[in-house]
Amino acid sequence: MAATRRLQKELKEMQECGLKSFRDVHTDENNILSWTGLIVPDNPPYNKGAFKIEINFPAEYPFKPPKINFKTKIYHPNIDEKGQVCLPIISAENWKPATKTDQVIQALIALVNDPEPEHPLRADLADEFLKERKKFMKNAEDYTKKHSEKRPSD
Amino acid sequence: MNPSVSEDDQQTSETVESSSEVTSGSNSKGTTELNLKIEDGMKRATVKDRIEKYFYQLIDGCGNEKCSNEHCASSGKVATLSPNEAAGMALKLWKSSAKLCDPHPSKIARTNTDECKATAPTTSSSSSKASTPTDNVVANSTNTSDKDEDSHSSSSSQNKTSTVVTSKTDEPPLESKGPKKTYLTEKKLRAVIEECASLNNYTQLRSILFEVFSNQDLLSQSFCKPTTPPEQQLPQDEQRTQSSSGQGAGDSQLAEGSSSSQSGPARSSSAGSMEAELTLDLESVRRAYDQLFALPAVEFENTLIQALVTLSEYINVLLKCGGSSALNLDSLIHVFLVIFEIPILGSCEYVERLLPKICKAASQLPLVAQTRIAKIWAMHCKQRLKTILEALQQLITIKTLSNHYHKDYILQDEETITCPTKIMKILFYANILAGDLDPSSLRDEPQETEQPSHESIFGVDIPSSKSQFKLIYEDSLGKLLQVNVLDARKPLIPFLEFYNEPLSDAIEMDRDFGYYRTSEELSMEADCASSSRYSKFSFMYYSFILTPATKTLGLYYDSRIRMYSGRRFSYLQSVVGQPTNPYLKLKVRRDHIIEDALVELEMIAMENDKDLKKQLVVEFEGEQGIDEGGVSKEFFQLIIEEIFNPDYGMFCLQSDTQHMWFNQMSYESDAQFTLVGILLGLAIYNNIILDVNFPMVVYKKLMGKRGSFFDLEDFNPVLFSGLTELMDYEGNDIEDVFMQTYRISFTDPFGSVLSHDLKPEGDSILVNQENKQEFVELYADFLLNVSVEKQFKAFRRGFQMVTDESPLGLLFRPEEIEQLVCGSKIFDLHELEEATEYDAGYTGDTPVIRWFWEIVHEMSHDTQKKLLQFTTGSDRIPVGGFSKLKMFIARHGPDSDRLPTAHTCFNVLLLPEYASKEKLQDRLLKAINYSKGFGML
Repeated sequence: MAATRRLQKELKEMQECGLKSFRDVHTDENNILSWTGLIVPDNPPYNKGAFKIEINFPAEYPFKPPKINFKTKIYHPNIDEKGQVCLPIISAENWKPATKTDQVIQALIALVNDPEPEHPLRADLADEFLKERKKFMKNAEDYTKKHSEKRPSD
Repeated sequence: MNPSVSEDDQQTSETVESSSEVTSGSNSKGTTELNLKIEDGMKRATVKDRIEKYFYQLIDGCGNEKCSNEHCASSGKVATLSPNEAAGMALKLWKSSAKLCDPHPSKIARTNTDECKATAPTTSSSSSKASTPTDNVVANSTNTSDKDEDSHSSSSSQNKTSTVVTSKTDEPPLESKGPKKTYLTEKKLRAVIEECASLNNYTQLRSILFEVFSNQDLLSQSFCKPTTPPEQQLPQDEQRTQSSSGQGAGDSQLAEGSSSSQSGPARSSSAGSMEAELTLDLESVRRAYDQLFALPAVEFENTLIQALVTLSEYINVLLKCGGSSALNLDSLIHVFLVIFEIPILGSCEYVERLLPKICKAASQLPLVAQTRIAKIWAMHCKQRLKTILEALQQLITIKTLSNHYHKDYILQDEETITCPTKIMKILFYANILAGDLDPSSLRDEPQETEQPSHESIFGVDIPSSKSQFKLIYEDSLGKLLQVNVLDARKPLIPFLEFYNEPLSDAIEMDRDFGYYRTSEELSMEADCASSSRYSKFSFMYYSFILTPATKTLGLYYDSRIRMYSGRRFSYLQSVVGQPTNPYLKLKVRRDHIIEDALVELEMIAMENDKDLKKQLVVEFEGEQGIDEGGVSKEFFQLIIEEIFNPDYGMFCLQSDTQHMWFNQMSYESDAQFTLVGILLGLAIYNNIILDVNFPMVVYKKLMGKRGSFFDLEDFNPVLFSGLTELMDYEGNDIEDVFMQTYRISFTDPFGSVLSHDLKPEGDSILVNQENKQEFVELYADFLLNVSVEKQFKAFRRGFQMVTDESPLGLLFRPEEIEQLVCGSKIFDLHELEEATEYDAGYTGDTPVIRWFWEIVHEMSHDTQKKLLQFTTGSDRIPVGGFSKLKMFIARHGPDSDRLPTAHTCFNVLLLPEYASKEKLQDRLLKAINYSKGFGML
């Protein structure tokens, strides 16, 4: 397959670079267009857990952007209940084929660590985040503890 | 009306001298007054021409040494006359119809009497070519600066006697006493203007303006480039223009076969002369006009218009009677280019008095000259095109609205409408040339020939009937320019601006269609150039000026006429004893609608595909409905719904654009696709609007043009922008960054990923800076053409079975065909309102939501589209209407100054709870008008 060449390289680089906040990058043996990985945020309230994500590359990659989905539930203004996330860097309007997946991941981690209530997917959470930060932090932390994956030990 | 002036006419119009009104009522019983006026104008011009001939004959002689005419200077029997005396004499001679030497020297037969004796007899044998740019420039020594500019008919030429000055474009120094009777240059004009300004007396300016602008030769020598200019053509244009101008200069005829070979041997030699570089310095003309028009209009405007009217009439006669061989086209082109540069061509005076005359004269130019004007306009006058277009539109509109048309006098008879329309065609092509073009190689040649002879449309042999269809219509002007409307990717001025609505509303399409048919029939017999002389003017050949609604009428008449003739024929047949059905009758069962329609149409196409052109009548089995249009509408609706259902497998829905596209993995036979093509054709033919959402490239392909890279923009915008990024990527590391090979992958409609090699061994060829252009072209070609070739061919064949003889390609551009098929996309936002859901504290009753919809419903169509684009990322209506589009409006905090935002990914509009409707409106409009693209505001 055509996209494989670049994707294989990107996958290899991703696995080798040893990012602390994104690890366990796996791909289906038969389908390199679908990756999974674990986001490990540094900032509270999400630093109490880890979050599984799935990256789906279109057949036309890199001419079309990948899509990212959270497999782990998360209490976050920019990620909805279905795990969909609206990340400008991979939107159809902004996508640059030269963008590497690790840049996408960096952007995603930044968004998880620092929510952007200005562009929420869940307006209610954004409201809470802005007005009742304490309440939001507590809710998010509880939610994280309850739903998220175990953080890797190191 | 007859342009030539008979002997009788001359006698009736004795009052020419006064030039104001010519009363010639005796020979015009049936004609209307307007016709009369026009005729008179022409007559006047002819008469003027004749008087001038007498004048020159008296002054210069015919050039024949042995001339025996007592009124000819060459015979030596004429006393030396002053110009004024000569003019008077000429008039007398004309009245008495005195002998005029043969061959008539043209207006500028100029050999000074003194010189004539000195020169060898051979040199003066033919003097009719005096106007080539290289010729000596005639300067004047007799000062008649105080001549009255209104007695123009002969005075304009009085001054052209005497010494021959071989001056170059560096103009002779201006003498303060009396202007030089020469061509104008920018410098000279400025000097005259300055001098006049200092004297505060513009007589001199008026006189020089009149002199130059009423004389073809002087004007054509004005504003020349100082030296031989460097090659001006842009490389892109050069390619197209090089060999395009067809036959020799005077030959307006098109050789029938010349289109077959793109660069036939016949084209080269004569083309060269026509492609000679532009001697006119347009920049200089513009600067000169700027100076001139900075003056108060009263000082010169009337003179200028008067002069140009005179000139136009002269050229008009020249072109009508002169026979094309003797014309100096370069000079004429030069003149028209200068005239069309007039900056305020669209202002009242010019439109009323001047423009009709110019258009009339210019519309008579042979095609080669028109071709050349189009090219020059496209290359050098891009900024002017719009002004010229507006002026023409204005003229046409005025003439459409101000005249009263009736049964015996319709729009097509009005020269002040048809001539500007003809000029507009030149402009239309210039506009295409000036814009972005696709290579003409993308045009499909009619593919009938390449199809196997055992052609089996429905798996059965069809008696091959069609000769060649004319789906790609070629206009003769476009043919010479080697450009087709289909080539226009993005014209300089949007095609919409060529529509003239008042004209389209006023036109009687049935009459126009009649004229079109007549000329079509004539052109079958003779070649187009000669037939066009006898046939009436039809706007069908100038379809750019008609709105789609009016053009639809043209198509309607065409299909009705065919239907009726089909019906009549079958009636005759039934009398003879071979009963056939006068209608195209389909009998289908509701629950087997596709199968039944397929079988029936298969039979028809097999037996007699002409039957497809009969009026469609549908009957649902077991139902009593009689098809007066309603039943067939329902039939189309049902069958389209079923066929385009992705589950049916013929077409797939492209999720991000909502387009239907051919399923290249379809298991359906070609016959199914042919059926869809027939249905599409039948829908157009029977005037039924279908709910299909094809990408534009489908219509382009139907009209005979292959899909190309730029069609991806509409077909698959995300991929297009990705590939555009590739094209824009300048770095040397393109191979490492993209790591893209010539093997591409795509998802088939069933979700599995497939790959395709754009070239053999594609996987081993990396895309680099050198081959990326080829890569994207092959990529697009694969997606748009190659991958669906089989399906599309069948589809197109079906379409053509219905439309092959109709003027569809003549009338409509692909985007108009889409409109024809789908209807104009006016969307019903109430439907959207119904389907919208609210979130985070909003309900349909929240004041801000109510305001929102009030504002939205008041918006213009374009703004509504923008809102849709803003919220959903697409301004298209999803298949099935707005109810299929789930839009959310979510509360985004309390009243604040923030702008509304949107998540196009999920059709969410985030709206702060603004305190007032005004504020909401202000914020909302700001957001949708100024936010382009994604990101943080």
